Amino acid sequence: MTPVIEMQGIHRIFESEAGLAHILHGIDFRVEAGEFVAIIGPSGSGKSTLMNILGCLDTPTAGTYRLSGLNVAELTDDELAEVRAHEIGFVFQSFNLLPRLSVLENVMLPLAYTDCPRHERERRAVHALHAVALDVGHFDHRVNELSGGQMQRVAIARALVNDPAIILADEPTGNLDSHTGALVMQTFHRLKDAGKTIVLITHDAHVAAEADRMVTIRDGRIYHGDAPYDEVPEVVMAAADTRQKEATR
Amino acid sequence: MSIRDLIREALRSLESNRGRSLLTILGIVIGIAAVIAMTSLIGGVRNSLISGLGLNAARTVQISCSYPMDTDDVADIARLMPEYEALEGSAYGYTQAQGSNCTVDANIRGADSAYLEMTGEVKLAEGRMFTSAEEQAAARVIILDKSGVQAFFGTPDAQVVGKSIRLGSHDYQIVGVDEKMPASSTGTENVYISVYTPLQTCLDDFSMGYPYLSTVTGLAREGTDMDAIVETTMQQVAKVMGIDEENIADNVYVYSMKSTVDTMSGFMNSFSLIMGAVAGISLLVGGIGIMNMMLTNVTERIREIGVRRALGATRRDITLQFLMESAVVCVAGGILGTVIGYLLSWGLSAIASALGLLGSMGMTTPGATATLTPQISPEAIAAAVGLSIAIGLIFGWYPARRAAKLDPVECLRSL
Repeated sequence: MTPVIEMQGIHRIFESEAGLAHILHGIDFRVEAGEFVAIIGPSGSGKSTLMNILGCLDTPTAGTYRLSGLNVAELTDDELAEVRAHEIGFVFQSFNLLPRLSVLENVMLPLAYTDCPRHERERRAVHALHAVALDVGHFDHRVNELSGGQMQRVAIARALVNDPAIILADEPTGNLDSHTGALVMQTFHRLKDAGKTIVLITHDAHVAAEADRMVTIRDGRIYHGDAPYDEVPEVVMAAADTRQKEATR
Repeated sequence: MSIRDLIREALRSLESNRGRSLLTILGIVIGIAAVIAMTSLIGGVRNSLISGLGLNAARTVQISCSYPMDTDDVADIARLMPEYEALEGSAYGYTQAQGSNCTVDANIRGADSAYLEMTGEVKLAEGRMFTSAEEQAAARVIILDKSGVQAFFGTPDAQVVGKSIRLGSHDYQIVGVDEKMPASSTGTENVYISVYTPLQTCLDDFSMGYPYLSTVTGLAREGTDMDAIVETTMQQVAKVMGIDEENIADNVYVYSMKSTVDTMSGFMNSFSLIMGAVAGISLLVGGIGIMNMMLTNVTERIREIGVRRALGATRRDITLQFLMESAVVCVAGGILGTVIGYLLSWGLSAIASALGLLGSMGMTTPGATATLTPQISPEAIAAAVGLSIAIGLIFGWYPARRAAKLDPVECLRSL
């Protein structure tokens, strides 16, 4: 069976005036459909960079990333946007809900970038909000009228509304107290039980422990319990070095 | 994103920053208001000019001669010149009469219906023009103006068609009332009125034995070369009046109203150009203000841009979103500017009328009340809205593209 996420030899190198920053080193990572995987690592370990590549917001410097069988490196910018619209649901640490929109409008927003007609958008948004157990009375409220836990559930509903292949959650409980965080994790469990594939990135071991599988990232390397892959293909370093020299010319 | 979604998002954005949006569109409002006020006033001035000169002003020719011309001379010229749709003469007379409570000085204008219709000199408020039978029979029928109605019957709105008044030594039946009510010489016992009679009636009763015409006016057919007809008319008048070739220039005067109309049009076009330049500068400033506001919007909403990109918005979606916001803001400004411009044109026209500027510019018929009615056309409104949209798109383009080119990862990192 084709895995939902398949990463092989992913490197990410950033170029700046200070020089090259090699953030991800030969990441191999695989997620099957219906899995709940937690990626845990300390601050600066490359979690966010990995998250951005997983979410098709960034492209790797080297390596292969297949999402539901699609080779992401071969996609144009518009095609990547379409992948994000249909295949990926994001849940951010700071919720990133739009304050000008109501709860329902926030959840409907991803569908505005698809061909979904408006009446269908509303129906699907309501369905998604029910899935996260948000009270109907809140649907017309502005998001700043909600508690932190409610806002995060709205964010999860927004991530669900386009029925994505994966849900990517970046520190979803980072801004919540432990009780509210536990409620949010319960929501993730319900989604997992419903068959959703979830990749959750966190620095909190307790949160990570709730996943089916835990993967550690440290210094840009994934630890699956084996030795880290720390050989950098020479061609990657040569290409990055050439770009650096051209930039400074 | 669909157009409806884009408009909805744009209106939402406007509403969340009402004060800033209103201040930003001031430049657009002023520019559009200036354009609308100018086009309305010029339209009104043009209409007043045409109304004052007569509907057919551009095809009208005035003929005069050192030698007196009578109706037979005019008939001969008309036979020689089929280029004229109508060629008519008029005569002037004068008499005094006793009104209801004043002495009336009556300026008698003898002209047949063809002449009056050609020149647009009479606009009937009620009644009718003279019939051919009345003109041929030199019937004692008149068209009275409103000041005459007031002088003889006490009020300008009296129903007088069919009634008679005494002018000189005869009674004249009123068959029509001209809508003009010139300002009378108030504060005196005398009232000046205009009375229209058939041409022959005026020549018989009021010319004091001088059976010649005061003016001869021709209406050229549509499409006639007015410069050529002026030349030809001079030749034919000389022929009929027996004037030698070398004396034509000194004795025959033929004048086309077209040059007057052209001069006025040229003046209004120049005025339009100047006002257009002023309005254009205002719109340019307004557009720069729009660009500034949109750039601020992009900066303030950088995180929102990142979120939208993460949710599936393409660069094109972001571009269109901000372009639509810019266009909607400008359309709002255009509509507001159109309303203000129209109100401004009414205000300015009231001031112009009160100051008598139209009369001093010769844009009214003699004795007529000088008023200016602004003319706003649907085309002007459509052009104003179209211009507003164009400004929104032109000056919103750079901020929109800047928003679209932002890296979504960097946007999401921003505070």
